[in-house]
Amino acid sequence: MNRREFVRAGALVGVSALASASVVIKDRIITSDKDTTGKETARNLKIRAVEKASENEDILIRMQRDLARAMAKPVESRRWIMVIDQRKCVGCSACTIGCVAENKLPPGVVYRPVISEESGQYPNTKLVFTPRPCMQCSKPPCVPVCPVKATWKRPDGVVAIDYDACIGCRYCIAACPYGARTSDFGEYYSKGTAFGAGEAKENPLVGSSPYEEKPNFEYGKSWSRANHGSPMGNARKCHFCLHRLEAGQLPTCVTTCIGRATYFGDANDPDSLVVEMVAKNNVRALLPHKETEPNVFYI
Amino acid sequence: MADTTGVSSSGSEGVYFDNLKAAPQIKAALWSVWILFLLAGLVGMGQRMFYGHLPAGYGSYVPWGLWIALYFHGVGMAGGVFALAALGHLLDLPGFQHRSFIRLAIILSFAAMLPALLGVFLDMGHMELAYRVLTSPNFTSMMAFNAWMYNAFIVIAAVCWYLSYKEKTEWLKPFLVAGVFFCAIIPSQSGAFFGVVGAKESWNSAILPILFLVSAITSGAALLLLVKTLIGPSKKSADGMKDEYGYHQVLKNLRIVVIGGMAAYFILEWAEFSISYWNPGGHSGSLDLILFGPYWWVFWIVHLILGGVLPLLLLISKREGLWAIGASLVAVMFVSVRLNVLIPGQAVSELSGLQEAFQHPRLTYIYNATAMEYFIGLFMVALGMAIFYVGRRVNLAATKWFQ
Repeated sequence: MNRREFVRAGALVGVSALASASVVIKDRIITSDKDTTGKETARNLKIRAVEKASENEDILIRMQRDLARAMAKPVESRRWIMVIDQRKCVGCSACTIGCVAENKLPPGVVYRPVISEESGQYPNTKLVFTPRPCMQCSKPPCVPVCPVKATWKRPDGVVAIDYDACIGCRYCIAACPYGARTSDFGEYYSKGTAFGAGEAKENPLVGSSPYEEKPNFEYGKSWSRANHGSPMGNARKCHFCLHRLEAGQLPTCVTTCIGRATYFGDANDPDSLVVEMVAKNNVRALLPHKETEPNVFYI
Repeated sequence: MADTTGVSSSGSEGVYFDNLKAAPQIKAALWSVWILFLLAGLVGMGQRMFYGHLPAGYGSYVPWGLWIALYFHGVGMAGGVFALAALGHLLDLPGFQHRSFIRLAIILSFAAMLPALLGVFLDMGHMELAYRVLTSPNFTSMMAFNAWMYNAFIVIAAVCWYLSYKEKTEWLKPFLVAGVFFCAIIPSQSGAFFGVVGAKESWNSAILPILFLVSAITSGAALLLLVKTLIGPSKKSADGMKDEYGYHQVLKNLRIVVIGGMAAYFILEWAEFSISYWNPGGHSGSLDLILFGPYWWVFWIVHLILGGVLPLLLLISKREGLWAIGASLVAVMFVSVRLNVLIPGQAVSELSGLQEAFQHPRLTYIYNATAMEYFIGLFMVALGMAIFYVGRRVNLAATKWFQ
């Protein structure tokens, strides 16, 4: 290689290295906000806000008042957190099923499984249940690995997915230490099952039942599965039922909890029940050594 | 001999490696293998097109399977092949200095990389949105960075291919250097692709990019050695004449690279395993799975014996025919290296009891590749063979066109 070739080689490698480094640094430093913020994101949910507090009221009523108060603020002033009291959880999985129904989750997709752990030796045994929603981490490992910016941390702390942008590479699923993301592979509950009476019994369903084609309303949008439409083929996860929050409703897992073991609210509101629960108790997070700073706490 | 336009003429030196042909028996065997793989592959492609991901064995807890292992194996080999040919050319090693050898390596590199990209494409949930990795990339993701690097590499390799016909150009060597730069980055990036995932204990290791780089060079050298043995003149016919094109010298050099690469890989693997296994804080569950899990045979038989000991014995012999068998074993069996990183890394849950919490075949930490996945793997191999076949004909046609 002569001198001129050497200089050219150096220039090509140098420019390539510089270009590579600059695009990575740019994406590391500059994070464009995908969400609308400001006044128009505030919601005036009057019905719940005017309900008066009463003694021995169901904690759901109080949390709904907390929710109305939080929604009256711009989105960047809210910070949603969840507190799960494992002492009260009986492992009924009503939250899991409620979530499946609310978000019309197909087979193989789950947002909030309940992990059962048995400890001790008979007769001194103990069962501990750990519902595991998405931790909505403050440092979510699933976000930076997305190759197309289809998942991001919202101003209110919820880690969201843009189903229209997700390419279904499943890198985020591998990156989540909690296993909180699942892929929608396009399965149906009724596929292959027999239906009807008489001869129809012998004819298993080829596609899906009509009820399985109904759209779900995650992120406040109607998502139809027809023609391989998203979220089929996408990564999916718990989003604290953002679409319900916008309508003044608590996440489904909170309202379906028969033991009232799940608390939800705005961590920026000192009067909210969740803040009270965090302050009164020794709360813990799952897998703290992963340094993801979860926003779901366990008592 | 060069004409006034600076374009290489048809001198035998310039096209020596373009003109090499396989022996009739080898040709017939390769055609048979190709047809078989293609037919099986078309079955797999049909399944993938009509049934989507449903016939696949991966799920949400083991989200990546055989195709991703093949993908990393393919891009690694592509980088390894190009880097070795380019370095040999830049260092003026006997046999490597011919431009037709560069062209052969570039075609082989494409034949390894393009099917690999098909593998990851088919693995996507929304293939129609794949273009977004290039149009809306997030460069904090190693996947987006990888995708851009592959494209940059393909462009650089194509430019090198074109420049290889230009006798008087002073740009070929600079572009070869740039290509080597990308070849060093691509396989090590593949290791970093897993290494950055802190969620998976066994992946989160700084040695992974080095392991991937070494395995890419080793398997790339093995692939080159295999192809050159298959399409080159027999030792017998070359004995009587002077090895003026350095053909057998190339084989000897590649053999040394393969043996050295394997030794380096096993030393690095030992370093990784020993730290993990003797860690007083508790050894990795993934390592247990690799060594003693249900797929123990992938490590002990496929990787260690068929991909290590046996090829080593074949490669240290003096018979070039045995080198081809040894090289093919390394080129094929080193996919087990990728599988042993990929699958056990995913198959260990950070939260115990998660698998039992909500039961479904796609929510388990057990992965078995299905027939569709194997068929598509064969399709990828058939596609690679076809690209190589067509590419070499394009090489010859281009040689005539540039005259």
